[in-house]
Amino acid sequence: MSWKARETRYAYATVLPVVVLVALFTVYPVGYAVSTSLREVVLYRPASTPFVGFKNYLDIVRGDFFATAWGHTLTFTLFAVALATILGFGVAHLLRVRSRIASFLNAAVLLPWAIPTVISGILWAWIFNSTYGAFNGALYSLGLISSYIPWLSRPTSALFCVLFAHIWKELPLTSILYVAALQAIPDELYDAARADGAGVLATLRRITIPLVLPTTLIVVIYESMVAIVTFDLLYVMTGGGPAGATSLISYYIYNRMFTSYNFGQGAALAVILALSLIVFILVYLRVLSSEDVYRE
Amino acid sequence: MIRRYFALASGLLALTLVVCAVAVAAAPTQLTFTVWSYSNDVVQDNIQKFQARNPGITVALSDFDWGKFTDVMTARFVGKTSTDVSYSSDHWLQQWAAANWIVPLDDYFPQVAAYKPDFAPYAIEGMTYNGKLYGLPYYADTEIFIYNEDLLKRAGFSTPPVTWDDVTKMAVAMKQKKIVEYPLMFQFQDITPDYIEIFLSMVYSHKNPSMFDKTLTPTYDSESSAAHKVARWLVDGFRTTKIINPASLETTEIPLVKAMGAGQVAFAVLPKYNLADLNTPGAHAQAGKFKMALMPGETHGTVGYVRFYAMTKMAADRGKEVRDASWKFLDYFGGKTGGEFTVVKRWALEKGLGFAQLPLYKDPQVRAAINKWGNVTLEEQQAKLARAKEALTPFWGSWSLEFQKEMNKALLGQETPLQALQASAAKWKEMKK
Repeated sequence: MSWKARETRYAYATVLPVVVLVALFTVYPVGYAVSTSLREVVLYRPASTPFVGFKNYLDIVRGDFFATAWGHTLTFTLFAVALATILGFGVAHLLRVRSRIASFLNAAVLLPWAIPTVISGILWAWIFNSTYGAFNGALYSLGLISSYIPWLSRPTSALFCVLFAHIWKELPLTSILYVAALQAIPDELYDAARADGAGVLATLRRITIPLVLPTTLIVVIYESMVAIVTFDLLYVMTGGGPAGATSLISYYIYNRMFTSYNFGQGAALAVILALSLIVFILVYLRVLSSEDVYRE
Repeated sequence: MIRRYFALASGLLALTLVVCAVAVAAAPTQLTFTVWSYSNDVVQDNIQKFQARNPGITVALSDFDWGKFTDVMTARFVGKTSTDVSYSSDHWLQQWAAANWIVPLDDYFPQVAAYKPDFAPYAIEGMTYNGKLYGLPYYADTEIFIYNEDLLKRAGFSTPPVTWDDVTKMAVAMKQKKIVEYPLMFQFQDITPDYIEIFLSMVYSHKNPSMFDKTLTPTYDSESSAAHKVARWLVDGFRTTKIINPASLETTEIPLVKAMGAGQVAFAVLPKYNLADLNTPGAHAQAGKFKMALMPGETHGTVGYVRFYAMTKMAADRGKEVRDASWKFLDYFGGKTGGEFTVVKRWALEKGLGFAQLPLYKDPQVRAAINKWGNVTLEEQQAKLARAKEALTPFWGSWSLEFQKEMNKALLGQETPLQALQASAAKWKEMKK
């Protein structure tokens, strides 16, 4: 056996364990989900799971809830990504300011991220509670409202309450990512800009934003994925209500699988969601990694 | 020499195997018991007493939120997470049994038949699927109408409401006199399992309350149905007279009981055991002021429901030893010990839980306990007017969630009450196919 062939064999042998693990925990479940999505799998009819082709997909897409759930999901994602990115960028700037409490702030800002999502969901549900919630209490004390408002009982405000809790949870991560990106920008660039007479806005537009674009790309992709698949927060805070107003597409999958016991349709929806995420990511990659963006 | 070593090694191996076999034989049978969180200290204490009586059995307890219990259990069953005995409810019996997650007790323990004459008929109905009994009752109760007598008197009324129109009249009076901003509150969060039972209680208090015909086709989606009357009454209360707290749409059982206990709610439809909690001295600011009335309406009917202990298929498949241990467990918790329904009686005495075991109504201790916080005569009267939820099918649980969501659209003004009923009836027909 030649040296090259031996090297190739060695390479395959070393990669194989990882490939097997990935196949076991990724490829197999995905394959199983696709296979389930093509069969009628209803848990309370365990004896019969016939192959139905794309019927589950058609039933899901034709269902009245599909468009509504996507509407809620896209609204939620749009606001979640925009706010987590912009606020994260802003907080990172504040964290960069050298002060005595900078290190304390750096650690403190991470706290919401360290709290399990379900716990933060319960906390925010209490805060927004319409009979004893701290948010109503604060507004009432300040004289801004004359009676407590049922924030989680109104379709629009309920969605924004969940969004608020989501941003609170996500902001630390985006902030820390931006802090790292900002620290990597050489001070000389800012010195040169100042020497050329550039103001704060021009520096921001011409230096900071272009140089943190790779981080922005990561933040936007990650936050989009997290927002689209948000489930635990809304499950705890609103149970998808009122009247399904906070039922995002992930909740719809859960509903199909665990309350309707229809694993076939649930799997079909999961496949649709996975494909949608891939499309989102490809679009982002195309837009944000375009050389024109950097050149500009 | 080698032979000697070999003999020694063989001897050691044999000894190890014997020790392991003895250890396995002597190890207690472990049962995993899943419950929804409620008075876990009492549950744990009952488990310890059971273990003391049955030294060969140990019980591991796992508890989950009531509102999410069926979802969690579905995940456990699908993922084959070890579960031997579990709480269940008439809501989910059909689904769980059809999915082959729990097993009929009559098939494994014929002795269970001896208990049937002791159980209330609606409870037996709630634990029966395809003619077989799937559980022994943890508790069985009715949805009742609870009112704050003090608030009612302050509004100038000396007797509780008899009809739903009376409720409106009294609530409007309370609102006008600024006694309470929203006299009524419900637990109408989209996914709370109590929602449908409360709605049906209100329906069953009307004449001709059936929601379905004999072929299980919905009849409630017509203008003249009792369900439509209830839906219209609720929408009026939410949107026109504004006597119902709009926060009902985010409310579940405990927050509602707390709000009532704090004097923020004058009327509520709740599972009966809450009356015991509300009137427990020191538990709430308004404790002692709460009374039950027969469900307002033409017939005063209500829903009778049962929550029960079930044995899982996983336990049945683990072998005779586990099955026997499971029966001992079920018998201790839902049946008789020393000739008495010990655990069920304890729940009734300490927590005011209702019971399906009818002989307990004759127990002087139980009667005295109920009269401390309620009215045993009225309770018995309401229990006689109770009926099981109709049309319990494997998809009933899924349908109930769709029903609740559609009703909430009506309460928010997104649909008319009739449109909401028609939409949920369409879902039923789709699921029935």
